[in-house]
Amino acid sequence: MLQRLSAIVRKELITMLRDPRARLSLIIPPIIQLFVFSSAATMEVKNIAVAVVDLDRGPYALDVQQRLGGSRSFTRLPRYASVAAARGALEREQVIGILVLPSAFSADLSAGRPASAQLLLDGRRSNAAQITAQYVSTIMAAEGAPLSGAPPQARTGGAGPAPPPNAELVIDNWFNPNLEYQWFMMPNLVGMLSLAVALMITALSVARERELGTFDQTLVSPATPIEIALGKLLPPLLVASVQATLYLLIVTLLYGVPFRGNLLVFYAAILTFAAACAGVGLFISSLVHTQQQAFLGAFAVLLPFALLSGFATPVENMPWWLQFVTTINPLAHMLRLMQGLFLKGASVASMAQDLVKLLEIALCTTAAAVLLFRRKAA
Amino acid sequence: MSDTLTRLRLWWQQLAAIMIKEGKQVVRDPSSWIIAVVLPLTFLFLFGFGISLDTTVVKIAMVREDGGRDALAFAAALTNSRWFLVVAASDRLSAERALQDQSVKAVIIIPAEFGRRLNAQNTTARVQVLVDGAEPNTANYVHGYVQAIWNGFLAARGREQGAAPAAAVSVEVRYWYNANAVSRWFLIPGSMTVIMTLLGTLLTSLVIAREYERGTLEALYATPLTRGQILIGKTLPYFLLAMVSMLVCVLTALLLFKLPLRGSFLALGLVSAVFLVPALGQGLLISVTMRTQMAAAQLGLMTGYMPAMMLSGFLFDIHSMPRWLQAITLAIPARYMNVSLQTVFLAGDLWSVLIPNMLFMLAVGALFFGLTWRRLHKRVD
Repeated sequence: MLQRLSAIVRKELITMLRDPRARLSLIIPPIIQLFVFSSAATMEVKNIAVAVVDLDRGPYALDVQQRLGGSRSFTRLPRYASVAAARGALEREQVIGILVLPSAFSADLSAGRPASAQLLLDGRRSNAAQITAQYVSTIMAAEGAPLSGAPPQARTGGAGPAPPPNAELVIDNWFNPNLEYQWFMMPNLVGMLSLAVALMITALSVARERELGTFDQTLVSPATPIEIALGKLLPPLLVASVQATLYLLIVTLLYGVPFRGNLLVFYAAILTFAAACAGVGLFISSLVHTQQQAFLGAFAVLLPFALLSGFATPVENMPWWLQFVTTINPLAHMLRLMQGLFLKGASVASMAQDLVKLLEIALCTTAAAVLLFRRKAA
Repeated sequence: MSDTLTRLRLWWQQLAAIMIKEGKQVVRDPSSWIIAVVLPLTFLFLFGFGISLDTTVVKIAMVREDGGRDALAFAAALTNSRWFLVVAASDRLSAERALQDQSVKAVIIIPAEFGRRLNAQNTTARVQVLVDGAEPNTANYVHGYVQAIWNGFLAARGREQGAAPAAAVSVEVRYWYNANAVSRWFLIPGSMTVIMTLLGTLLTSLVIAREYERGTLEALYATPLTRGQILIGKTLPYFLLAMVSMLVCVLTALLLFKLPLRGSFLALGLVSAVFLVPALGQGLLISVTMRTQMAAAQLGLMTGYMPAMMLSGFLFDIHSMPRWLQAITLAIPARYMNVSLQTVFLAGDLWSVLIPNMLFMLAVGALFFGLTWRRLHKRVD
């Protein structure tokens, strides 16, 4: 049995790695994707451009603009005479919002009355807009504080220390002290990229053999359906481990993301996850006849897996019935494992649950695929 | 004159022949219908419900070491807020363990002596908040919420003691096009872009690679069809398929997700049709470049689907990306489609926005088709 199995694995590896272009395509593109997508995937809002309509032209209005301009998040503050004039820039997405400083702004503040400014934001980009609103509100709230009498110019020079507060909220960010988005994205991308590779390789390789007619030959060979299935499963595991090693090196050495977990658990996670994905791929390939169908089938699960995993948006934001679906999604477990391993240093016991779930998924899908192959072989 | 007319008619007949052949191939394959109707519906459904950036309820642990009136009041403010699901933890160690094992998103510690220090003159009462920073977006929300509850608690306490509220600058925030800033409203048009990319680019990336793999491409070349006819004949059925599923998507968005359509159906149809030019062109280019369907599928995934997800501004704001990456997004048709769809749905037919975007899409499309044209020619001889 082992002999037959190793023969099949060897055959699969030869088909996969024979062509030097194919060998490169297993290594280079995933790494490029890791670089590009980790820079792209940020929910931080940077390089903000906000149009300013200053109807006040008083000292406080100028001060607001200086503060905004001094903040790292804002790169451009083009000035417009009226909202109507600024509207075009907002429509063309040249600015994300329009800050209107009303004519009584400085007068109100000098007199000690509360003043209000208006911020019109582009709801087409509502997430970035909401974060921009937070930034602007924080900066403006600081404007209100020292308004008791002293004009803003005098204040910048020698403002005395504020009296010590007698109540304080101390916020600490664990695992990722500076809330760097890349630290979150990198471990997720490791899972995401392995998913696509493991799933596609298995789903398409059986379908191709079917299309070319060589699958029937394999079925009539002395190898049993289980051996054939295992032969299809092992190569993606190998590819996934090699890729994962590369990712691990890049993510920790080049990007400085901490790795706080156990290396053995990391490889256990990679192998069980790749097995689960390959199992799903195998199951899809047992249902289809052509590569195009296999491709679509793979896609039909790839997209929901990616969406319902916490990759881009948190699982907690989903309705409960979709949260339930995430329990059978291998990527959701994988992402928890990756976050636990890289950033959190979670206990092995808490990660074992996810590992077991991945094994279960791998076993169920492979068993289902073997049953379907067997029926076709008979 | 009549000579040109005959040639034109012949050209048309040949084109019709290959279109009918391709069309039948598409229509007779039951998976085509799954692709055109079932797949977009499922995806849109999942996108609509599964993706949300509007944080709902966050699970946090609270360690309260002080049983005094102030500590209880702050604890109650946390428990009663609609943002948090508070679980009481017995001690700091178990709460910190829960944070590490990913079962809560934050830990709030109200230390012993909190009330006494708050009411004494020269001491500072500190509440400690440990936030799971691994996911920065949620962490930021938690910061904002805790801070707001804390400010509310202090203000209420101040009012009890008769302090006057301080005058301040308030910012009145208004969202144009999306008054409640619902993330679904901008995510659903983005999802449509991803679905259209899937249909336009990924499916066509297999068409010519398939003929090549099966050896039927030579048979196709042996026919009197010109390159132009082959290209049009191969793409038109997929164009129609994609337009049908676009219609399905739009109807779902309007009826199920109650998205407003402030622009017109005409603009929507026009934008979709224009987007399909670069999308189909990219698929064809991949298809003539790669000789196996496997390789074509991988390239399509990498250059079509992943950029549509990550670099189109669908999830991640393009303006926040580094400059070199912003330059790369200029070559990605999904980017222009995304802005156009969001505009037509939420803002209306702003032609000053739509026309430049459509021109960019056509330019990218012309590039792809041009390259395909050249590669297809090379293959013949």
